[in-house]
Amino acid sequence: MTVTFILVLAGLLALACFLLLAKGRVASTGDMEKLTTRLRPVDVEAFRNLTDPGEEEYLRTNLSGGDFRKIHRERTLAAIEYVSGAAQNAAVLMRIGDAARRSPNPSTVEAGEKLVDTAIRLRLYAFHAIAKLYFGLVLPGPRVSPARIAESYEQMTRLVVMLGVFQHAPQGVAASL
Amino acid sequence: MTVTWLRYYLWIAPHALLVVVLVVMFRRKLQRQFPIFFTYIAFEIIQFLTLFIAEYSPSISRKQYYLLFLFGSAISTILRFGVLYEIFIHVFRNYPALNRSARVSFRWAVLLLFVAATAFSFSKSGDQIDRMLTVIFVFDRTFSIVQCGLLLSLFLFSRYFSISWKSHVFGIALGFGVFASVELATSAIRSQIGVSGNQILDFITMATYHLCVLIWLFYMLAREQTPKYNSSDLPEHDLETWNQELHRLIKK
Repeated sequence: MTVTFILVLAGLLALACFLLLAKGRVASTGDMEKLTTRLRPVDVEAFRNLTDPGEEEYLRTNLSGGDFRKIHRERTLAAIEYVSGAAQNAAVLMRIGDAARRSPNPSTVEAGEKLVDTAIRLRLYAFHAIAKLYFGLVLPGPRVSPARIAESYEQMTRLVVMLGVFQHAPQGVAASL
Repeated sequence: MTVTWLRYYLWIAPHALLVVVLVVMFRRKLQRQFPIFFTYIAFEIIQFLTLFIAEYSPSISRKQYYLLFLFGSAISTILRFGVLYEIFIHVFRNYPALNRSARVSFRWAVLLLFVAATAFSFSKSGDQIDRMLTVIFVFDRTFSIVQCGLLLSLFLFSRYFSISWKSHVFGIALGFGVFASVELATSAIRSQIGVSGNQILDFITMATYHLCVLIWLFYMLAREQTPKYNSSDLPEHDLETWNQELHRLIKK
């Protein structure tokens, strides 16, 4: 009886998920202009600072146990916020990169390809990083390396700028970049 | 009388619509993009015709009919897995960073879901009339769990990575997802209550299949919506970012 109940519930939940995802897809089709409004500002330097082991060590030695735990928790939550912001921006830019891949301009297509690839990698790193950061809230241990996320984010920003250049610059100039 | 007509309608109408799906796919040359799905649709139509004839043929016994049904279901299930693999390939084809890991994840997910589904399916056997029906119930439930799990993980995975789906692939996956989730629930209830409520459950399953065929038809007829790239899509940059990039490019 319990197994039947679990399976029926799982089936109904799955059905609800499929219908919600379908509804979400219909709503998101063709709203590229609104997409960029979902971008969140991310300060990469502040993120590097928050996840810097040296900074953490400094705080550990200069603060009392209770204060350090409080500060550590706040810093970790802030870092999670930064990573989430970067991941959300990656999702938005991925859609833009996807659309750019359909451009008739080969340079734009190439930049779009790179943007999509970098955005996917950033989402992957972000997924790992957020899990690690939450784990670090409970059990201090493995630290998040900010380098991969920060570098990917900066690379992604560069690619967006390049896309803009390709869009506005004459064909010859764009090809030389 | 109404019940009989309803049963006929739910049995015949989806298969008649499948013929339309097949024709639409052929006219739009979609069979080249989705060969396994095309084969699956063709097989479903052939299976329906075979079972329909067998139902009214006096030379075919009830046991032979069930064997035919079981054989058809087995091939149909194998083809459905093929279609799921086809969906995976289509979704991740344009994303090299995810393509390899998606293929590996698909195989692992199939394996894990099979183990979980087998454990769930054999954990309870209700008052089934005979062993053949029990086999069909267990078979149904196992594959429903696996298919439902695979499709759900695919939808969630692609949603997390903001992967854009082409309309046709999305339609195929959505149809299978809706059908697999309802089949999961009905097969679980069926194994619990036995044959007593079979007619109602059959109607639910058949109606869901009808809906699923309508979803496929809708998406096969729908025009592919491709977002147009426009410079205004790009986020506005402050002067500092532009300067940094220009410095980097000059230094290059």
